[in-house]
Amino acid sequence: MSDFNNSLVIAASGMHAQSARMTVIAENLANVDSAGKTPTDTPYRRQVPTFKAVFDHELDATKVQIGKVAYDMSDFQERYEPGHPAADARGYVRYPNVNPQIEAMDMREAQRSYEANLNVVQATRSMQGQTINILKG
Amino acid sequence: MGGQGLPINGEVPLSPGRGCPRRRCDAGVTMGIQLLDALAAKMRWDQQRQDLLAQNVANSDTPNYRGQELEPFAVGDGSGRLPAQEVAMLDTDPRFFQIGGGADGTAKPGQQLSFEVTPEGNGISIEDEMMKVSANQMDYQMVTSLYTRSVGILRTAIGRA
Repeated sequence: MSDFNNSLVIAASGMHAQSARMTVIAENLANVDSAGKTPTDTPYRRQVPTFKAVFDHELDATKVQIGKVAYDMSDFQERYEPGHPAADARGYVRYPNVNPQIEAMDMREAQRSYEANLNVVQATRSMQGQTINILKG
Repeated sequence: MGGQGLPINGEVPLSPGRGCPRRRCDAGVTMGIQLLDALAAKMRWDQQRQDLLAQNVANSDTPNYRGQELEPFAVGDGSGRLPAQEVAMLDTDPRFFQIGGGADGTAKPGQQLSFEVTPEGNGISIEDEMMKVSANQMDYQMVTSLYTRSVGILRTAIGRA
């Protein structure tokens, strides 16, 4: 017998995954300027969260989990800053491959997905309340 | 689950070839209870649907996930109406009517055809799912109100208003 708790647990797993995604986005944004200290240092590499559907036998339903956080292997940005300690012989500094605008969009998407899950929780709770109201007559 | 014990499934066997006067007499007595059973089945269906919708929303960013949906709820002959016991037609041939059967409110989940699929293979549209969640919620509200009302009618009938 399934009950509304399943819906709540599933929605909670969605919220959990989205907040984990938010953490990764925050890391990326915070490190947008983390170039190295010397020309040989590797700057911060952008991280990409992945999701996977996980079948929960106890719930008999598919939850969502945050999968491996992968690295974005695209090229680093280069900026001409000859005075920077990490500048190479040509005067260029390697900066992280983080694009703040992309991160902002991802953040908005995570926010929307989180809200959607929250909506499910609220709808489920109100349905539970209606069930209890039957007892009140 | 499996809707055991639901008289909607036509557990009262209908003798072929002739009307069953006894059944017709009983119908008036069990009608209210049968309605409650149908409402309970609908509530179970809504509950399961809520599970699936929660699953779809939670997996709205999972690659290669396609949405799932329940088969439409149906009671009795599938027309969404209760089997008309009170005014049952006399079936002169067993092939004419099959009252009851199937439809106990536990529908099988199936893959949903999605409106759009993202490059990573996800077929969930959050807006769509939100609409379904609120529709499901409203359905459920209607069923619980009907249930309360039916119980109220029974209560009136036994003189305890």
